[in-house]
Amino acid sequence: MSDLAIDIRNVVKRYEAHVAVRDLSLQVPCGSVYGLLGPNGAGKTTTIRMILDIILPDSGSISLFGNPNTDRRVLDRIGYLPEERGLYKKMQVRRVLMFLAELKGLNPKTAAARIDEWMERFSLMTPDKDWGEAKVDELSRGMQQKVQFISTLLHDPDLVILDEPFSGLDPINAQALKDAVVELKRRGKTVIFSTHVMENAERMCDSVCIIARGEKVLDGSITSVKQDAGMRNVALALRGGAHNGVGTVLRDPQLVSKVDDSNNFFELELAPNADAQVLLRRLIDAGANIERFELMQPSLHQIFLQRVGAAGVEAGLSGHG
Amino acid sequence: MDNKILIVAKREYLERVRTRAFVLMTLLVPILMSAAMLFPLYMSAKSGPSSSVRRIRILDATGAGVGDRIAQNIRSDSAIADTVQGPFVVAVSPADLPAAEKAAEQEVMKPKSLQGYLVVDDSTITGKRAKYFGRNAATISDMDRLETAVRQSVLTVRLEREGVRPAVINDVAKNRLELSREKLTEKGRGGSGLTGLFAGIIVGVLLLMSIIVNGQMVMRGVLEEKTTRVAEVVISSIKPESLLAGKVIGVGGAGLTQMIAWLVLGGYFQSFFAPIVLKAAGAGAAVATSGPSTVASGFAGMAWSVLGVSIAYFLVGFVFYATLYAAVGSMVNSDQEAQQAQTPVMLLLMSGWIFVNPVIINPNSTLAVVLSWLPWASPVIMPIRMGLTSVSPASVAGSLLLALLGSIGAVWLAGRIYRVGMLMYGKKPSFAELAKWIRYA
Repeated sequence: MSDLAIDIRNVVKRYEAHVAVRDLSLQVPCGSVYGLLGPNGAGKTTTIRMILDIILPDSGSISLFGNPNTDRRVLDRIGYLPEERGLYKKMQVRRVLMFLAELKGLNPKTAAARIDEWMERFSLMTPDKDWGEAKVDELSRGMQQKVQFISTLLHDPDLVILDEPFSGLDPINAQALKDAVVELKRRGKTVIFSTHVMENAERMCDSVCIIARGEKVLDGSITSVKQDAGMRNVALALRGGAHNGVGTVLRDPQLVSKVDDSNNFFELELAPNADAQVLLRRLIDAGANIERFELMQPSLHQIFLQRVGAAGVEAGLSGHG
Repeated sequence: MDNKILIVAKREYLERVRTRAFVLMTLLVPILMSAAMLFPLYMSAKSGPSSSVRRIRILDATGAGVGDRIAQNIRSDSAIADTVQGPFVVAVSPADLPAAEKAAEQEVMKPKSLQGYLVVDDSTITGKRAKYFGRNAATISDMDRLETAVRQSVLTVRLEREGVRPAVINDVAKNRLELSREKLTEKGRGGSGLTGLFAGIIVGVLLLMSIIVNGQMVMRGVLEEKTTRVAEVVISSIKPESLLAGKVIGVGGAGLTQMIAWLVLGGYFQSFFAPIVLKAAGAGAAVATSGPSTVASGFAGMAWSVLGVSIAYFLVGFVFYATLYAAVGSMVNSDQEAQQAQTPVMLLLMSGWIFVNPVIINPNSTLAVVLSWLPWASPVIMPIRMGLTSVSPASVAGSLLLALLGSIGAVWLAGRIYRVGMLMYGKKPSFAELAKWIRYA
């Protein structure tokens, strides 16, 4: 057994008008939580669909747990929550779940027991009300999301792939999803999710891969990604914001190459060869009322903006991530 | 075979069979079809010579007892219900005839009295003419019966005058010859010609209806999976080709279940209701016994080979059209678009069906033979031809094989469109784009 859950090598996918994925290679170790990050249209969904053998790459290879992903038995070990979600509307909830579980090779008896277990856990089955008997379209949107999530995990997959899992989730379901991811990780499962919300990724992922315009920009563990980016960032908090003199200092290209201005809080990237101490002195001279001045690792968000840049966030070509 | 195909097929089958619409259709169609077939039977029984023929006055100015003979002829007909008295014979001299006619005319014009009056005179005996005036003068069956009665009576009188023995005359007068019809082909005897016609048309209509209804069912199922976005989860667990196959098998199974239920229930309703309908029509015993056997045997008299071959044609025809319908469902985004996009499929199906009339009239014409070989028309046309004429087993096998090849071609084509279309949202593809999908899939 390989210790890589996913091993993608030199994968290319071309569409008529553009290249969706360009020579992409990435490795996801077993038991990790992996973030696939990128702006809309970067090729995230295309990559995920290729992993799942829904669409075929033009070239390159993909293996899952050491087997080629064309092996249907390997695909049965994956749970997939697509970005665009939906269930059979007119079908009973329990029958939908049973159908999807059976498609993953679960026998009906085990599936029935697990369905009850999960529905209780997500309070879809209480002593007074069993939503399993209801038709899908009788459920609220939040409940449908729960059912969809149950269907992803019902067959106890070793690899869970979540495509933009947080889009459209209410805060309660989003929290439940985070809890579930943490629990999966604790049980040694591999989770890979795509997102363009860096905060989620920074909090949850062990490793990330940033892709833009179908190409890998960088990948690695969160720690190494941050280390590589260097301690070139300054967190600055000012009481009363940046008045004229301070603004001039922050805009000095000799000192600061990039400013993320949040009015009272600034995340600065030092210019090459600039000294943080010089910056601090200049700010004090300019009369800044400093509450916080801290040399720090850049946030994932900063790294993302720095490496992908505004140009990378161009309009998605395929409409999917 | 991938057992996931069976899981998909099972879901499709059960979800369909469980719906109220399915149960209703399964019960209602045989009732309606039985009604559609029993109504003409009712009408023909009803329009057989009715008891009205008895409720007439016969003005006999022949002086040779022709009137009495006519009355007797009508009274002795068991097909005419004897619930009323008559006919009433009035012998008049030729001189009194105009007055008698006037009296009879007034009698007929009174409500709820005589139906009409018949005038026979010397010109009748010479075989020239008789006159009838009455309410039922436009009822073909009544007038046919009356005409027969007059002819036979005149014949008897003339034979008597020529000195033929009364026993012989009696025998000739009672003659009720009936022409029995039975189909005879190189395969031997098989049912009456009428039975074959019924069976052929019923099978043809059932096949066409089933293919359209179930084909559209597949299309809507595919479209539902696409629009609810459930397709992506399902396709991550099963190959699109297997999903398509399972869907077609499941829906086809439900369709086959329904068709068999239609045939069984239809046959049952026919044999159960036909006597009741005939009784209600007030027909005599003679019609009542011959009527239902003709109609009910429309199903029962159908040769098993025809039934078996029909099911085989249903299967290949259904696969052919269902996969095309699935392709249509996969390339559109809404019901409205689907209605439009299915037109080519519908036209293809109808291109065979529009010729069904000429095929029925002459099942051995070149047109009929050609149609029964074309893969997209043969599933509907061949079973009809088989019901009407004898088709060699080699032709049937050849045409089935061709239809099967056609189905495989359709599956290949539709599978490629389906694979791409299921995950393609947005604008409906043009034909040029479709061609690209087929090439690149």
